[in-house]
Amino acid sequence: MKKNGVNMIKISAKNVDVFYGKKQALFNINLEIEENQVTALIGPSGCGKSTFLRCLNRMNDVIDICKVQGEIVINDFNINDKGCDVVRLREKIGMVFQKPNPFPKTLYENISYGPTIHGMAQSKQEMDEIVETSLKKAALWEEVKDRLHEPGTGLSGGQQQRLCIARAISVQPEVILMDEPCSALDPIATAQIEELIDELKKEHTIIIVTHSMAQAARVSQNTGFFHLGELIEHGSTDKIFKNPENNKTQDYITGRFG
Amino acid sequence: MSEATHTVKSYEEELQSLNKNIIKMGVSCEEALGKAIIAITTRDSENAETVIKNDEKIDKFETTIEQQVVNLIALRQPMAIDLRETVTALKISSDLERIGDLAKNISKRTLLLNENLPKNLVDALVRVSTNVQKQLKSVLDAYLDRSSSMATNVWENDEQIDELTNLCMQEVIKYLKEHESNLDDGTHLLFVTKNIERIGDHTTNIAEQIYYLVEGEYLEGDRPKGTEPIVTGEK
Repeated sequence: MKKNGVNMIKISAKNVDVFYGKKQALFNINLEIEENQVTALIGPSGCGKSTFLRCLNRMNDVIDICKVQGEIVINDFNINDKGCDVVRLREKIGMVFQKPNPFPKTLYENISYGPTIHGMAQSKQEMDEIVETSLKKAALWEEVKDRLHEPGTGLSGGQQQRLCIARAISVQPEVILMDEPCSALDPIATAQIEELIDELKKEHTIIIVTHSMAQAARVSQNTGFFHLGELIEHGSTDKIFKNPENNKTQDYITGRFG
Repeated sequence: MSEATHTVKSYEEELQSLNKNIIKMGVSCEEALGKAIIAITTRDSENAETVIKNDEKIDKFETTIEQQVVNLIALRQPMAIDLRETVTALKISSDLERIGDLAKNISKRTLLLNENLPKNLVDALVRVSTNVQKQLKSVLDAYLDRSSSMATNVWENDEQIDELTNLCMQEVIKYLKEHESNLDDGTHLLFVTKNIERIGDHTTNIAEQIYYLVEGEYLEGDRPKGTEPIVTGEK
Protein backbone atom coordinates (compact mmCIF):
# COMPACT_ATOMS: atom_id res chain seq x y z
CA MET A 1 0.00 0.00 0.00
CA LYS A 2 1.38 3.40 -0.90
CA LYS A 3 0.55 6.78 0.53
CA ASN A 4 1.83 9.81 -1.35
CA GLY A 5 4.21 7.51 -3.23
CA VAL A 6 5.79 6.29 0.00
CA ASN A 7 5.34 2.73 1.19
CA MET A 8 3.42 2.36 4.43
CA ILE A 9 5.20 0.87 7.40
CA LYS A 10 3.83 -2.57 8.29
CA ILE A 11 6.10 -3.50 11.16
CA SER A 12 8.04 -1.20 13.39
CA ALA A 13 10.66 -2.59 15.81
CA LYS A 14 11.65 -0.16 18.52
CA ASN A 15 14.61 -0.64 20.86
CA VAL A 16 14.44 -4.42 20.67
CA ASP A 17 16.88 -6.33 22.89
CA VAL A 18 16.96 -10.12 23.05
CA PHE A 19 18.74 -12.23 25.64
CA TYR A 20 19.39 -15.97 25.73
CA GLY A 21 19.93 -16.36 29.45
CA LYS A 22 22.69 -13.88 30.28
CA LYS A 23 23.94 -13.65 26.74
CA GLN A 24 22.56 -10.71 24.79
CA ALA A 25 21.78 -11.68 21.20
CA LEU A 26 20.23 -8.48 19.86
CA PHE A 27 21.15 -4.92 20.83
CA ASN A 28 18.69 -2.09 20.51
CA ILE A 29 17.25 -2.94 17.11
CA ASN A 30 15.22 -0.23 15.43
CA LEU A 31 13.85 -1.27 12.09
CA GLU A 32 10.83 -0.36 10.01
CA ILE A 33 9.47 -2.91 7.53
CA GLU A 34 7.57 -1.54 4.54
CA GLU A 35 4.21 -2.99 3.58
CA ASN A 36 3.96 -5.11 0.42
CA GLN A 37 7.70 -5.10 0.00
CA VAL A 38 10.32 -7.78 0.46
CA THR A 39 12.85 -7.03 3.17
CA ALA A 40 15.99 -9.17 3.23
CA LEU A 41 17.97 -9.66 6.42
CA ILE A 42 21.61 -10.54 5.82
CA GLY A 43 24.68 -11.04 7.97
CA PRO A 44 27.15 -13.71 9.05
CA SER A 45 26.04 -16.74 11.06
CA GLY A 46 25.17 -15.85 14.62
CA CYS A 47 24.61 -12.17 13.82
CA GLY A 48 21.03 -12.25 15.14
CA LYS A 49 19.06 -12.03 11.92
CA SER A 50 17.07 -15.22 12.54
CA THR A 51 16.56 -14.26 16.18
CA PHE A 52 15.10 -10.98 14.99
CA LEU A 53 12.87 -12.75 12.47
CA ARG A 54 11.58 -15.01 15.25
CA CYS A 55 10.71 -11.96 17.35
CA LEU A 56 8.19 -10.92 14.73
CA ASN A 57 5.77 -13.79 15.45
CA ARG A 58 6.87 -14.46 19.03
CA MET A 59 8.57 -17.71 18.09
CA ASN A 60 11.17 -16.98 20.73
CA ASP A 61 8.46 -17.65 23.36
CA VAL A 62 9.07 -21.36 22.93
CA ILE A 63 12.66 -20.97 24.15
CA ASP A 64 12.55 -20.84 27.96
CA ILE A 65 15.70 -18.82 28.52
CA CYS A 66 14.89 -16.32 25.80
CA LYS A 67 13.79 -12.84 26.87
CA VAL A 68 12.63 -10.15 24.42
CA GLN A 69 12.49 -6.47 25.38
CA GLY A 70 11.30 -3.45 23.44
CA GLU A 71 8.35 -2.92 21.15
CA ILE A 72 7.34 -4.61 17.95
CA VAL A 73 4.41 -2.75 16.53
CA ILE A 74 2.29 -4.39 13.86
CA ASN A 75 -0.89 -2.61 12.78
CA ASP A 76 -0.49 -0.12 15.66
CA PHE A 77 -0.38 -2.96 18.18
CA ASN A 78 2.67 -3.95 20.22
CA ILE A 79 2.87 -7.73 19.89
CA ASN A 80 5.05 -7.93 23.00
CA ASP A 81 2.11 -6.67 25.11
CA LYS A 82 0.73 -9.17 27.63
CA GLY A 83 -2.69 -9.00 26.00
CA CYS A 84 -1.43 -10.24 22.65
CA ASP A 85 -3.14 -13.42 21.44
CA VAL A 86 -0.21 -15.37 20.06
CA VAL A 87 -2.38 -17.81 18.11
CA ARG A 88 -4.12 -14.93 16.31
CA LEU A 89 -0.74 -13.29 15.79
CA ARG A 90 0.65 -16.37 14.04
CA GLU A 91 -2.44 -16.50 11.87
CA LYS A 92 -1.52 -12.98 10.68
CA ILE A 93 2.19 -13.72 10.47
CA GLY A 94 3.08 -16.91 8.69
CA MET A 95 6.46 -18.55 8.55
CA VAL A 96 8.45 -20.70 6.13
CA PHE A 97 11.57 -22.48 7.29
CA GLN A 98 14.92 -23.49 5.88
CA LYS A 99 14.08 -27.14 5.40
CA PRO A 100 10.68 -27.91 3.91
CA ASN A 101 8.63 -29.34 6.76
CA PRO A 102 5.30 -30.60 5.45
CA PHE A 103 3.08 -32.40 7.94
CA PRO A 104 3.14 -36.20 7.53
CA LYS A 105 -0.33 -35.98 6.04
CA THR A 106 -1.85 -35.59 2.59
CA LEU A 107 -1.27 -32.50 0.48
CA TYR A 108 -4.88 -31.51 1.10
CA GLU A 109 -4.58 -31.86 4.85
CA ASN A 110 -1.34 -29.89 4.88
CA ILE A 111 -3.20 -26.89 3.48
CA SER A 112 -6.55 -27.37 5.27
CA TYR A 113 -4.99 -27.75 8.73
CA GLY A 114 -4.59 -24.01 9.42
CA PRO A 115 -7.95 -22.90 8.00
CA THR A 116 -9.61 -25.67 10.05
CA ILE A 117 -8.17 -24.63 13.40
CA HIS A 118 -8.92 -20.98 12.65
CA GLY A 119 -12.47 -21.91 11.57
CA MET A 120 -12.12 -20.28 8.20
CA ALA A 121 -14.31 -22.63 6.14
CA GLN A 122 -17.99 -23.40 6.71
CA SER A 123 -18.25 -26.26 4.25
CA LYS A 124 -16.23 -28.83 2.38
CA GLN A 125 -16.68 -26.75 -0.75
CA GLU A 126 -15.24 -23.65 0.92
CA MET A 127 -12.28 -25.66 2.15
CA ASP A 128 -11.72 -27.07 -1.36
CA GLU A 129 -11.59 -23.51 -2.62
CA ILE A 130 -9.07 -22.45 0.03
CA VAL A 131 -6.86 -25.44 -0.82
CA GLU A 132 -7.03 -24.73 -4.54
CA THR A 133 -6.41 -20.99 -4.21
CA SER A 134 -3.50 -21.50 -1.83
CA LEU A 135 -1.85 -24.06 -4.10
CA LYS A 136 -2.42 -21.81 -7.13
CA LYS A 137 -0.86 -18.84 -5.36
CA ALA A 138 2.10 -21.03 -4.43
CA ALA A 139 2.41 -22.04 -8.11
CA LEU A 140 1.98 -25.69 -7.22
CA TRP A 141 -1.61 -26.43 -8.27
CA GLU A 142 -0.90 -27.61 -11.81
CA GLU A 143 1.72 -30.06 -10.57
CA VAL A 144 -0.34 -31.63 -7.77
CA LYS A 145 -4.05 -31.18 -8.54
CA ASP A 146 -4.45 -34.88 -9.35
CA ARG A 147 -2.72 -36.15 -6.23
CA LEU A 148 -4.13 -34.00 -3.44
CA HIS A 149 -4.70 -37.04 -1.26
CA GLU A 150 -1.18 -38.38 -1.49
CA PRO A 151 1.30 -37.62 1.30
CA GLY A 152 3.01 -34.20 1.16
CA THR A 153 6.32 -35.80 1.97
CA GLY A 154 6.30 -37.55 -1.42
CA LEU A 155 6.96 -34.30 -3.29
CA SER A 156 10.36 -33.06 -4.44
CA GLY A 157 12.22 -30.61 -2.17
CA GLY A 158 11.20 -27.58 -4.21
CA GLN A 159 7.59 -28.76 -4.35
CA GLN A 160 7.61 -29.40 -0.60
CA GLN A 161 8.81 -25.87 0.02
CA ARG A 162 6.06 -24.47 -2.20
CA LEU A 163 3.63 -26.67 -0.29
CA CYS A 164 4.86 -25.08 2.94
CA ILE A 165 4.37 -21.65 1.39
CA ALA A 166 0.85 -22.67 0.29
CA ARG A 167 0.19 -23.85 3.85
CA ALA A 168 1.46 -20.53 5.20
CA ILE A 169 -0.73 -18.44 2.88
CA SER A 170 -3.86 -20.60 3.36
CA VAL A 171 -4.76 -18.61 6.49
CA GLN A 172 -4.26 -15.33 4.60
CA PRO A 173 -1.45 -13.91 6.69
CA GLU A 174 -0.50 -10.26 6.28
CA VAL A 175 3.17 -10.97 6.78
CA ILE A 176 5.24 -13.98 5.70
CA LEU A 177 8.56 -14.67 7.43
CA MET A 178 11.02 -16.81 5.52
CA ASP A 179 14.13 -18.23 7.15
CA GLU A 180 16.52 -19.25 4.36
CA PRO A 181 13.70 -20.77 2.33
CA CYS A 182 15.93 -21.81 -0.58
CA SER A 183 19.08 -23.07 1.09
CA ALA A 184 18.05 -26.71 0.60
CA LEU A 185 16.86 -26.24 -2.97
CA ASP A 186 18.48 -26.48 -6.40
CA PRO A 187 18.77 -23.38 -8.63
CA ILE A 188 15.60 -24.11 -10.62
CA ALA A 189 13.49 -24.63 -7.49
CA THR A 190 15.16 -21.53 -6.02
CA ALA A 191 14.16 -19.46 -9.04
CA GLN A 192 10.57 -20.73 -8.71
CA ILE A 193 10.45 -19.67 -5.06
CA GLU A 194 11.97 -16.30 -5.91
CA GLU A 195 9.38 -15.75 -8.63
CA LEU A 196 6.74 -16.74 -6.09
CA ILE A 197 8.08 -14.24 -3.53
CA ASP A 198 7.78 -11.54 -6.15
CA GLU A 199 4.13 -12.47 -6.75
CA LEU A 200 3.28 -12.85 -3.07
CA LYS A 201 4.48 -9.37 -2.17
CA LYS A 202 1.43 -7.93 -3.93
CA GLU A 203 -0.73 -9.25 -1.11
CA HIS A 204 1.72 -9.87 1.71
CA THR A 205 4.65 -8.20 3.39
CA ILE A 206 7.66 -10.49 3.22
CA ILE A 207 10.75 -10.69 5.37
CA ILE A 208 13.41 -13.13 4.27
CA VAL A 209 16.59 -14.20 6.03
CA THR A 210 19.18 -15.36 3.53
CA HIS A 211 22.87 -16.22 3.39
CA SER A 212 22.91 -15.64 -0.32
CA MET A 213 23.79 -12.06 -1.08
CA ALA A 214 22.78 -12.59 -4.68
CA GLN A 215 19.37 -13.79 -3.53
CA ALA A 216 18.92 -10.78 -1.26
CA ALA A 217 19.81 -8.54 -4.20
CA ARG A 218 17.44 -10.39 -6.53
CA VAL A 219 14.31 -10.66 -4.41
CA SER A 220 14.23 -7.74 -1.99
CA GLN A 221 13.47 -4.05 -2.14
CA ASN A 222 15.00 -3.32 1.26
CA THR A 223 17.93 -4.93 3.01
CA GLY A 224 19.08 -4.92 6.62
CA PHE A 225 22.61 -5.96 7.55
CA PHE A 226 23.13 -7.48 11.01
CA HIS A 227 26.47 -8.01 12.68
CA LEU A 228 27.17 -9.24 16.23
CA GLY A 229 23.58 -8.59 17.28
CA GLU A 230 23.39 -5.08 15.93
CA LEU A 231 21.59 -3.72 12.90
CA ILE A 232 24.51 -2.06 11.14
CA GLU A 233 22.70 -0.68 8.13
CA HIS A 234 19.23 -0.74 6.65
CA GLY A 235 18.11 0.80 3.39
CA SER A 236 17.03 0.18 -0.16
CA THR A 237 18.59 -2.98 -1.59
CA ASP A 238 19.75 -0.97 -4.55
CA LYS A 239 21.75 1.37 -2.31
CA ILE A 240 23.13 -1.37 -0.07
CA PHE A 241 24.56 -3.32 -2.98
CA LYS A 242 25.82 -0.38 -5.03
CA ASN A 243 26.98 2.10 -2.43
CA PRO A 244 26.54 1.06 1.22
CA GLU A 245 27.10 3.72 3.88
CA ASN A 246 28.88 1.53 6.37
CA ASN A 247 32.31 -0.04 5.85
CA LYS A 248 31.26 -3.21 7.66
CA THR A 249 28.35 -3.64 5.27
CA GLN A 250 30.66 -3.14 2.32
CA ASP A 251 33.25 -5.59 3.63
CA TYR A 252 30.56 -8.20 4.22
CA ILE A 253 28.77 -7.98 0.89
CA THR A 254 31.99 -7.82 -1.11
CA GLY A 255 33.48 -10.85 0.66
CA ARG A 256 36.17 -9.04 2.61
CA PHE A 257 35.04 -10.03 6.07
CA GLY A 258 37.31 -11.17 8.86
CA MET B 1 39.76 -0.17 -3.41
CA SER B 2 38.64 -1.00 0.07
CA GLU B 3 41.30 -1.30 2.77
CA ALA B 4 40.42 -4.84 3.74
CA THR B 5 41.27 -7.55 1.24
CA HIS B 6 38.99 -10.25 -0.11
CA THR B 7 38.77 -13.58 1.62
CA VAL B 8 39.16 -15.14 -1.84
CA LYS B 9 42.67 -14.14 -2.93
CA SER B 10 42.22 -14.82 -6.63
CA TYR B 11 39.28 -12.39 -6.71
CA GLU B 12 41.47 -9.73 -5.11
CA GLU B 13 44.16 -10.41 -7.71
CA GLU B 14 41.70 -10.10 -10.57
CA LEU B 15 40.53 -6.70 -9.37
CA GLN B 16 44.10 -5.54 -8.90
CA SER B 17 45.05 -6.72 -12.36
CA LEU B 18 42.13 -4.77 -13.83
CA ASN B 19 43.25 -1.70 -11.91
CA LYS B 20 46.83 -2.07 -13.15
CA ASN B 21 45.72 -2.44 -16.76
CA ILE B 22 43.76 0.81 -16.58
CA ILE B 23 46.83 2.60 -15.24
CA LYS B 24 49.10 1.07 -17.87
CA MET B 25 46.62 1.98 -20.59
CA GLY B 26 46.38 5.51 -19.20
CA VAL B 27 50.15 5.90 -19.23
CA SER B 28 50.27 4.67 -22.83
CA CYS B 29 47.71 7.33 -23.77
CA GLU B 30 49.71 9.99 -21.96
CA GLU B 31 52.78 8.99 -23.95
CA ALA B 32 50.85 8.93 -27.21
CA LEU B 33 49.47 12.41 -26.66
CA GLY B 34 52.87 13.77 -25.59
CA LYS B 35 54.58 12.34 -28.67
CA ALA B 36 51.77 13.49 -30.99
CA ILE B 37 52.16 17.05 -29.74
CA ILE B 38 55.96 17.00 -30.07
CA ALA B 39 55.54 15.59 -33.56
CA ILE B 40 53.17 18.29 -34.78
CA THR B 41 54.91 21.24 -33.16
CA THR B 42 58.42 20.23 -34.20
CA ARG B 43 57.48 18.55 -37.50
CA ASP B 44 58.98 15.29 -36.28
CA SER B 45 57.75 12.39 -38.41
CA GLU B 46 59.48 9.74 -36.36
CA ASN B 47 57.42 10.48 -33.24
CA ALA B 48 54.27 10.71 -35.34
CA GLU B 49 54.91 7.25 -36.76
CA THR B 50 55.56 5.80 -33.30
CA VAL B 51 52.19 7.11 -32.11
CA ILE B 52 50.41 5.59 -35.10
CA LYS B 53 52.15 2.26 -34.59
CA ASN B 54 51.58 2.14 -30.82
CA ASP B 55 47.85 2.74 -31.03
CA GLU B 56 47.43 -0.97 -31.58
CA LYS B 57 48.80 -1.53 -28.07
CA ILE B 58 46.22 0.82 -26.60
CA ASP B 59 43.43 -0.96 -28.49
CA LYS B 60 44.66 -4.27 -27.09
CA PHE B 61 44.44 -2.91 -23.57
CA GLU B 62 40.81 -2.04 -24.20
CA THR B 63 40.01 -5.57 -25.36
CA THR B 64 41.81 -7.10 -22.38
CA ILE B 65 40.03 -4.83 -19.91
CA GLU B 66 36.67 -5.56 -21.52
CA GLN B 67 37.29 -9.30 -21.16
CA GLN B 68 38.37 -8.89 -17.55
CA VAL B 69 35.21 -6.93 -16.77
CA VAL B 70 32.94 -9.49 -18.43
CA ASN B 71 34.70 -12.28 -16.52
CA LEU B 72 34.37 -10.46 -13.20
CA ILE B 73 30.66 -9.86 -13.74
CA ALA B 74 30.02 -13.42 -14.88
CA LEU B 75 32.17 -15.26 -12.37
CA ARG B 76 32.43 -13.02 -9.29
CA GLN B 77 29.22 -10.99 -9.31
CA PRO B 78 30.95 -7.94 -7.80
CA MET B 79 29.01 -5.81 -5.32
CA ALA B 80 29.31 -2.27 -3.93
CA ILE B 81 32.86 -0.85 -4.37
CA ASP B 82 33.88 -3.88 -6.43
CA LEU B 83 30.93 -3.36 -8.74
CA ARG B 84 31.84 0.29 -9.16
CA GLU B 85 35.50 -0.63 -9.81
CA THR B 86 34.41 -3.07 -12.49
CA VAL B 87 31.88 -0.87 -14.25
CA THR B 88 34.01 2.28 -14.21
CA ALA B 89 37.02 0.33 -15.54
CA LEU B 90 34.94 -0.57 -18.59
CA LYS B 91 33.89 3.02 -19.18
CA ILE B 92 37.31 4.54 -18.50
CA SER B 93 38.95 2.09 -20.89
CA SER B 94 36.65 3.14 -23.71
CA ASP B 95 37.44 6.83 -23.08
CA LEU B 96 41.15 6.02 -23.04
CA GLU B 97 40.81 4.10 -26.28
CA ARG B 98 39.24 7.19 -27.90
CA ILE B 99 42.08 9.34 -26.56
CA GLY B 100 44.54 6.94 -28.22
CA ASP B 101 42.64 7.17 -31.52
CA LEU B 102 42.60 10.96 -31.41
CA ALA B 103 46.36 11.10 -30.73
CA LYS B 104 46.85 8.75 -33.66
CA ASN B 105 44.69 10.96 -35.86
CA ILE B 106 46.73 14.03 -34.89
CA SER B 107 49.88 12.13 -35.89
CA LYS B 108 48.45 11.03 -39.24
CA ARG B 109 47.60 14.64 -40.04
CA THR B 110 51.07 15.70 -38.90
CA LEU B 111 52.59 13.49 -41.58
CA LEU B 112 50.37 15.18 -44.19
CA LEU B 113 51.27 18.76 -43.30
CA ASN B 114 53.32 20.41 -46.05
CA GLU B 115 54.62 23.62 -44.57
CA ASN B 116 56.25 24.68 -41.35
CA LEU B 117 53.74 26.27 -39.04
CA PRO B 118 53.92 29.93 -37.99
CA LYS B 119 55.10 30.53 -34.40
CA ASN B 120 51.79 32.02 -33.21
CA LEU B 121 49.96 28.92 -34.24
CA VAL B 122 52.49 26.57 -32.65
CA ASP B 123 52.30 28.60 -29.44
CA ALA B 124 48.50 28.41 -29.40
CA LEU B 125 48.57 24.65 -30.01
CA VAL B 126 51.13 24.14 -27.26
CA ARG B 127 49.05 26.21 -24.81
CA VAL B 128 45.94 24.09 -25.25
CA SER B 129 47.77 20.79 -25.47
CA THR B 130 49.91 21.47 -22.40
CA ASN B 131 46.71 22.01 -20.50
CA VAL B 132 45.10 18.85 -21.84
CA GLN B 133 48.22 16.83 -21.03
CA LYS B 134 48.18 18.19 -17.50
CA GLN B 135 44.52 17.24 -17.19
CA LEU B 136 45.17 13.73 -18.42
CA LYS B 137 48.02 13.30 -15.95
CA SER B 138 45.88 14.64 -13.09
CA VAL B 139 42.98 12.35 -13.94
CA LEU B 140 45.26 9.31 -13.91
CA ASP B 141 46.65 10.45 -10.55
CA ALA B 142 43.09 10.84 -9.30
CA TYR B 143 42.36 7.26 -10.39
CA LEU B 144 45.52 5.97 -8.73
CA ASP B 145 44.75 7.79 -5.47
CA ARG B 146 40.99 7.19 -5.65
CA SER B 147 40.61 10.93 -5.09
CA SER B 148 37.22 12.45 -5.86
CA SER B 149 38.51 15.97 -5.11
CA MET B 150 41.29 15.64 -7.70
CA ALA B 151 38.71 14.31 -10.15
CA THR B 152 36.45 17.29 -9.42
CA ASN B 153 39.36 19.66 -10.12
CA VAL B 154 39.94 18.05 -13.50
CA TRP B 155 36.24 18.31 -14.26
CA GLU B 156 36.17 22.00 -13.40
CA ASN B 157 39.30 22.80 -15.42
CA ASP B 158 37.72 21.64 -18.66
CA GLU B 159 36.30 25.12 -19.07
CA GLN B 160 39.80 26.52 -19.49
CA ILE B 161 40.52 24.03 -22.25
CA ASP B 162 37.44 25.10 -24.15
CA GLU B 163 38.63 28.69 -24.01
CA LEU B 164 42.17 27.87 -25.09
CA THR B 165 40.74 25.78 -27.92
CA ASN B 166 38.80 28.78 -29.14
CA LEU B 167 41.92 30.92 -29.09
CA CYS B 168 43.75 28.24 -31.04
CA MET B 169 40.88 28.04 -33.54
CA GLN B 170 41.23 31.77 -34.12
CA GLU B 171 44.91 31.25 -34.98
CA VAL B 172 44.03 28.42 -37.35
CA ILE B 173 41.40 30.54 -39.06
CA LYS B 174 43.90 33.35 -39.39
CA TYR B 175 46.31 30.87 -40.96
CA LEU B 176 43.62 29.65 -43.34
CA LYS B 177 42.94 33.19 -44.50
CA GLU B 178 46.62 33.89 -45.04
CA HIS B 179 47.24 30.60 -46.86
CA GLU B 180 44.21 30.35 -49.12
CA SER B 181 46.20 28.34 -51.60
CA ASN B 182 46.91 25.71 -48.93
CA LEU B 183 43.51 24.66 -47.70
CA ASP B 184 44.78 21.12 -46.94
CA ASP B 185 47.09 22.20 -44.16
CA GLY B 186 44.50 24.56 -42.71
CA THR B 187 41.87 21.83 -42.62
CA HIS B 188 44.24 19.38 -40.94
CA LEU B 189 45.04 22.00 -38.32
CA LEU B 190 41.35 22.58 -37.61
CA PHE B 191 40.91 18.87 -36.97
CA VAL B 192 44.04 18.67 -34.87
CA THR B 193 42.77 21.46 -32.64
CA LYS B 194 39.37 19.83 -32.36
CA ASN B 195 41.00 16.49 -31.58
CA ILE B 196 42.96 18.00 -28.71
CA GLU B 197 39.77 19.47 -27.31
CA ARG B 198 38.03 16.10 -27.64
CA ILE B 199 40.83 14.50 -25.66
CA GLY B 200 40.07 17.05 -22.95
CA ASP B 201 36.40 16.00 -23.06
CA HIS B 202 37.27 12.32 -22.68
CA THR B 203 39.50 13.25 -19.76
CA THR B 204 36.51 14.98 -18.17
CA ASN B 205 34.41 11.84 -18.73
CA ILE B 206 37.06 9.85 -16.89
CA ALA B 207 36.99 12.38 -14.05
CA GLU B 208 33.22 11.83 -13.76
CA GLN B 209 33.75 8.07 -13.62
CA ILE B 210 36.36 8.41 -10.88
CA TYR B 211 34.00 10.57 -8.86
CA TYR B 212 31.32 7.89 -9.15
CA LEU B 213 33.81 5.16 -8.32
CA VAL B 214 34.87 6.87 -5.10
CA GLU B 215 31.64 8.47 -3.92
CA GLY B 216 29.02 6.10 -5.34
CA GLU B 217 27.15 9.14 -6.60
CA TYR B 218 27.25 11.10 -9.82
CA LEU B 219 28.88 14.52 -10.06
CA GLU B 220 26.00 16.94 -9.89
CA GLY B 221 25.45 19.97 -12.07
CA ASP B 222 26.17 20.94 -15.64
CA ARG B 223 29.57 20.45 -17.07
CA PRO B 224 31.54 23.68 -16.97
CA LYS B 225 31.47 25.18 -20.46
CA GLY B 226 33.77 27.75 -21.98
CA THR B 227 32.70 30.45 -24.38
CA GLU B 228 30.72 29.44 -27.45
CA PRO B 229 32.85 28.01 -30.22
CA ILE B 230 34.07 30.57 -32.71
CA VAL B 231 33.10 29.68 -36.22
CA THR B 232 34.14 32.67 -38.28
CA GLY B 233 36.90 34.10 -36.16
CA GLU B 234 35.13 37.46 -36.23
CA LYS B 235 33.14 38.47 -33.19
